[in-house]
Amino acid sequence: MGLRVLWIISHEGGENASIRFSRRFPTVEHRARSLSGSSYVAVPEDSLILQPLLTELGISSSNKSYVAQRDDCIYRPRSPALELRLDGEKTLWPVLNISQGSLILACLPLVDVPSETRPPLSSLLSVSQGLTLLAGLQTFLLGSGGKPYGDGLISRLEMLPSALLQVCPLGTPLDVPLVGVPTTPAVPIPAGTQKQPAWKTGLHRGRAMVNVAVTETVRSMQYGNQSRQDLWDVYGTVTCKCEVEGVLPNVTVTLSLPPNGSPLQDILVHPCVTSLDSSILTSSSVDNLDGSAFSGPYKFPFSPPLEPFRLCSYTSQVPVPPILGLYQLKEEDNQLRLTASLKLHETVKNNFEYCEAHLPLFNRNQMGGADVKVSFGQVDVSKEKNLLVWALGQKFPKSREVSLEAKINFSGQSPGPCDPLCTGLTAYIKLHFKVPDMTLSGCSVDQHSVQVYSSSKPRIATSRELLCKEYYIWNSTGAAPVSFYHL
Amino acid sequence: MAENWYGRMRRFSGGPTRFLSETNVEVFLTELLRELRDDRATFNLKVLLLSPLCEYPDLLCSSDSVGQETALDLMSVFAQCPRKSTQFRSHLLVALTCVLICTSCVRSRSHVALDFLDLLFQVAQDVSDVHNDDTSRSLRATACDCLQEMETCCPGLLSQRLELLSGLRQQETSRLHQVYAGLQTVVLKNAVYQLTQEPGAGAEHLKCLLGGNTSFAWEVDQDAFQTDSKDSAMLSSLIQGSMGMMPTLHTGPDCKELRSVLSSLLEESYLFTPLCQAALLHRLTEVVAMVPGIPPTIFRAQLLRLLGTSEVCLFHATLLMKCAFTDSLFSAEDETFLLKRLLVLSQHPLLSIPEKLFYMDCILHFPENRPISCSDSDEALPVLLTPQLASTLLPTVFNDSATMLARLHLQSLVYLEEGVEESRGLVYLYDHLTSMLNIVESGGSREIVVTFFRAAFLFLLYFSQVHSYCLDLSEQLCRLYLRHTRLAPHLINLANQTQERLPECTWAIGLLRGLQKGITKALLGQLSLQDLSWHLKVLTRVAEEREICQHCSLGFLSSVITTSPLGVGGDWRLGNSFLAVCRRVLLHPTLDSLLIPLADILQHLACYYGDADIQDHARLYYTLLTTVSQEKLAMMLAQEAADNGPQVKKRTLSSLMAENEGLTGALTVHQTETAVLCLTLVSSEGPGESGQLHEKETEDVTDVLEAYRSQFGEPGFMPDVTLKYQLVHKQDQDPRFEQLFNIRLHFVLTDDHYEQLQDINVPCVFKGRPPPVVQLRLKPRQPYPTTLRVSAIFTTQDGFSWHTPLPDVHVAFQQSFLPVPTPPSWSGEARLQLFERLWEEISSETGDCAVSLFCCQLQEAELNVLGNQRSMYICG
Repeated sequence: MGLRVLWIISHEGGENASIRFSRRFPTVEHRARSLSGSSYVAVPEDSLILQPLLTELGISSSNKSYVAQRDDCIYRPRSPALELRLDGEKTLWPVLNISQGSLILACLPLVDVPSETRPPLSSLLSVSQGLTLLAGLQTFLLGSGGKPYGDGLISRLEMLPSALLQVCPLGTPLDVPLVGVPTTPAVPIPAGTQKQPAWKTGLHRGRAMVNVAVTETVRSMQYGNQSRQDLWDVYGTVTCKCEVEGVLPNVTVTLSLPPNGSPLQDILVHPCVTSLDSSILTSSSVDNLDGSAFSGPYKFPFSPPLEPFRLCSYTSQVPVPPILGLYQLKEEDNQLRLTASLKLHETVKNNFEYCEAHLPLFNRNQMGGADVKVSFGQVDVSKEKNLLVWALGQKFPKSREVSLEAKINFSGQSPGPCDPLCTGLTAYIKLHFKVPDMTLSGCSVDQHSVQVYSSSKPRIATSRELLCKEYYIWNSTGAAPVSFYHL
Repeated sequence: MAENWYGRMRRFSGGPTRFLSETNVEVFLTELLRELRDDRATFNLKVLLLSPLCEYPDLLCSSDSVGQETALDLMSVFAQCPRKSTQFRSHLLVALTCVLICTSCVRSRSHVALDFLDLLFQVAQDVSDVHNDDTSRSLRATACDCLQEMETCCPGLLSQRLELLSGLRQQETSRLHQVYAGLQTVVLKNAVYQLTQEPGAGAEHLKCLLGGNTSFAWEVDQDAFQTDSKDSAMLSSLIQGSMGMMPTLHTGPDCKELRSVLSSLLEESYLFTPLCQAALLHRLTEVVAMVPGIPPTIFRAQLLRLLGTSEVCLFHATLLMKCAFTDSLFSAEDETFLLKRLLVLSQHPLLSIPEKLFYMDCILHFPENRPISCSDSDEALPVLLTPQLASTLLPTVFNDSATMLARLHLQSLVYLEEGVEESRGLVYLYDHLTSMLNIVESGGSREIVVTFFRAAFLFLLYFSQVHSYCLDLSEQLCRLYLRHTRLAPHLINLANQTQERLPECTWAIGLLRGLQKGITKALLGQLSLQDLSWHLKVLTRVAEEREICQHCSLGFLSSVITTSPLGVGGDWRLGNSFLAVCRRVLLHPTLDSLLIPLADILQHLACYYGDADIQDHARLYYTLLTTVSQEKLAMMLAQEAADNGPQVKKRTLSSLMAENEGLTGALTVHQTETAVLCLTLVSSEGPGESGQLHEKETEDVTDVLEAYRSQFGEPGFMPDVTLKYQLVHKQDQDPRFEQLFNIRLHFVLTDDHYEQLQDINVPCVFKGRPPPVVQLRLKPRQPYPTTLRVSAIFTTQDGFSWHTPLPDVHVAFQQSFLPVPTPPSWSGEARLQLFERLWEEISSETGDCAVSLFCCQLQEAELNVLGNQRSMYICG
């Protein structure tokens, strides 16, 4: 176990790459040397690592359309572990890497399984440890949805040496760096008989509070076509923020489903969950639905860390998609006729935070004229982007059905946006919506079901919401790409 | 000074070996250690100064003794450092650990290493070290990390301290108990392993190990560590997939002590960070696997928590546990559950792509309870993985490249097992390939293009026997190529790789035949220069195939060069592409039947192509074709075809070379990194020359001054300073520069005191032979000292051209002295007379004379030289 070296690299589309930070762990390297004997390949100096890494990632020499080293069709699993070809016949493996934007984080775990051939990745614990550390460092450097540029990154990079002294002083990852200090003041834990969890930096003092939020996300691919089945799926996350006194306080959150609700599947839990009933884990999305499956209540006893965390996640198979759409395009007399209709399912709360349908049209000249009629809502036509944005606001009309008709000619002089996927009549509507206070699966956390074993009575807040992501309605008169993420 | 150190550290980390090669390592290390002891330096700087020792201890400490001295120095810095600067002290401990381990001081149990161990134990047990700032780990934690690393690198080092460590862990209630537990576990695992290697060791020994024996005598077990092979075996993981190699310790069922230690560690494991938990579980798995007296069910209480975890390292540790214990811990249901979990995790929307791909790799190496195949590295699907289950991982066009290819790979294995005949899955995979092809056709990005060709290769690799699909793929690729000729290198690469990986399969030939057909039927009128050059690249590759008839390729070539305006344009690169096809055809086994069309083409190129070089080559090929037998031709050309490596071709064959990277390399002038040659002065023979003149007393001159002056009226008369230099190799050169040919020296003036110099040609310079002498003719405008910049272009034996700088040539003041330019026939007396007349005239300062004074500083030696050069010289 252990990492031999860690690199943090920034680049701009494969150009101007530079190593922003690197850290070698010579004692692990020392072990690597004695473990691999004559087949030992030393980690080259930083200046020699950039080019092989970018080549293997396929982003070097971006101005050349074909580079033999980079574009060879031979299949090698490249992610998450790359094989870097160094000078001569030597190769460096397995270089783990994760990229976000223009930042690449990479490390080289120690291969401590002796093998004639290359051992499988899955036999090396240091691989999953390396991945965990890299992901933790990524969050540390960029924040959870951060941008890789600016002073923030520079100051974070400056903090790295002392952060690494805490979490990986000698090449063995012990923890991931703390992203921020907890918002509420934490006091050091006084000596006592109860052992303090290593993942908890202090004690909470003050009013007890538990906040539980259920967020569900729905994805869908609708084809409006008899020959092709529409697809949709739902996944949910339960995030908690707990401010409770005590070294190891006990909290239990219970998720419940309505009667006849379909069971929660693929449940994954945070490591702070102390125990799990085996029935909670049995339901899986790769199985066929089983009517007799356990359908709650789902109890999660845990001892919370100070910072907000994702208690658990699940998937669910709901019988219908929340919004059913139909999209048809016809090419007539040098213009395109669009008809679209959307229908909100009766079980879905007709109360949106926002709801928008985007109708992009690719691989054509810019729009000339657009004649758009809608039964409801407003349409914003962006001629430069060849995009119609149909804003439906907070509510569907009483009928729960809306429709759009448009005639568009593409008489503009300059070409509009391109997408190699959407040629000919292949086109889609993409929906964006958010519905507060509802979940599709029906999953909810009752305020009274949250149990906190603590001296003071805690304030408990629960919430839920439904979001959509990758919600596509494809033109039924054209070819549509197959997406099989759900069977 | 501090600024200076920041700069030096930056340069060091930019390239340590280069930095150290430019300085004296010992001096650098001494300065570093001195600065660390300096009270004026800030702790921030000191932490930075430790980084070379933390990262490159073996570069700085070249020997054990240097390592020991450095460690002693660092320990004294540690002792003098105020307690409150925890950060710096922690870094110091890390640096010490790195130095001692990497210089083998720990392995050889040197005194420094033992002293340091004592220090670490002192710090680790120092409970008074209460940390004020709870967010940073205390020095105690770092000391434990260092101890753990020492134990990991030198297994068994701390096995005598197990009880002490166990006590420390149990007493500790702060977060630090985790580091004690980590340390204890590593020591425990190594100690148990050591016992397994002792013949006859059993329960009693184990008991001794775990309790009581706190002897501080490090030397006791020194003998056990001398063998390297043992050490390296102890460094590696014991869970390796293939069972039966596990060393075991036979204790019988009675190992209460060990069991209680394990239970207590496992109970507390929940309190550890996921990374430490995973490491702990892995080590305990190894311990339990080595001691059959402990049933693996000891882990059962943790399992449910672990099976549901969202942490990749915890789930991985569980899989490794399964690998070690199979059905003694995991039931058939557990196995099914784990596999389904892996399938779910491999496509979970909330996980990152690297994690998902890692899980997919775990499916390909799933630790089955009853594995069928025994090999530990081959990818084999678990028996439980049905096509139905695997269908959740079908590739889609919405996947990123890596995911898409990994899924295609997995599915190919699934359907290969299922039998391809009636497979619905295969239909899906082929449809998927087609939709990717359509995206490429509609102008997908470079990444999509590369991914598509990789996907196509994977498909062929697994399903080359399914002819209907492969045939269709080949047709589609030809169609794609004609729309996007820039894909030529990808197609050629695909053909090459399928031929190499599937030597039995003729698919590549079919593809090339299809491409040839498509190209040769193309309408010439619509052909762009770009298209044509790609076509010629493809046809060159097609011509390599013995089984493909080349008639239509030649027909195409012939019509391009005779009818298309592109064919005679005179583009050198394009001309080379034409020649490349012809060259390949010259090697084709059916050359006899191609003789006439090929000869026509070559003749046409030789006569009409708009580039002389191409004409020459075409003429040569024509001559070869018409005069040399096919066998000889094949031998001449095959040699070149064989060594397509980076080595440039032999000179004799250079004219037969195809345009390729090797040629480009040969045509480029390369730059040497350092000077290869230099000019060294040959000692002057000035006085000797005048001595010779004395013998020729033939002509009598009446008016010497008049005769002397009249010379200047003659055109072309201008005195010049001739300096002789030897052209010699510099020391320690690359062996390829030992023989240099056709050296052309070029001089650049640095001022305007002299006329421009002509280039000088030297035929060759061989190392070990007398160096050639070159004469530099300086025509002075003003006789001042000067410096000349010198460079040279030469050719090496392998045919490469090089440009190299030479050291500057310095022309000293005294070197610009000249004997009075008198006609060679004058006697010495006449010359003396001339001097006197001139001197008189100058002294009288009448007429047109002017005195020019030049002042320069001369060293004593130069002055002596000046003094020794007797009269009869004037400057310039």
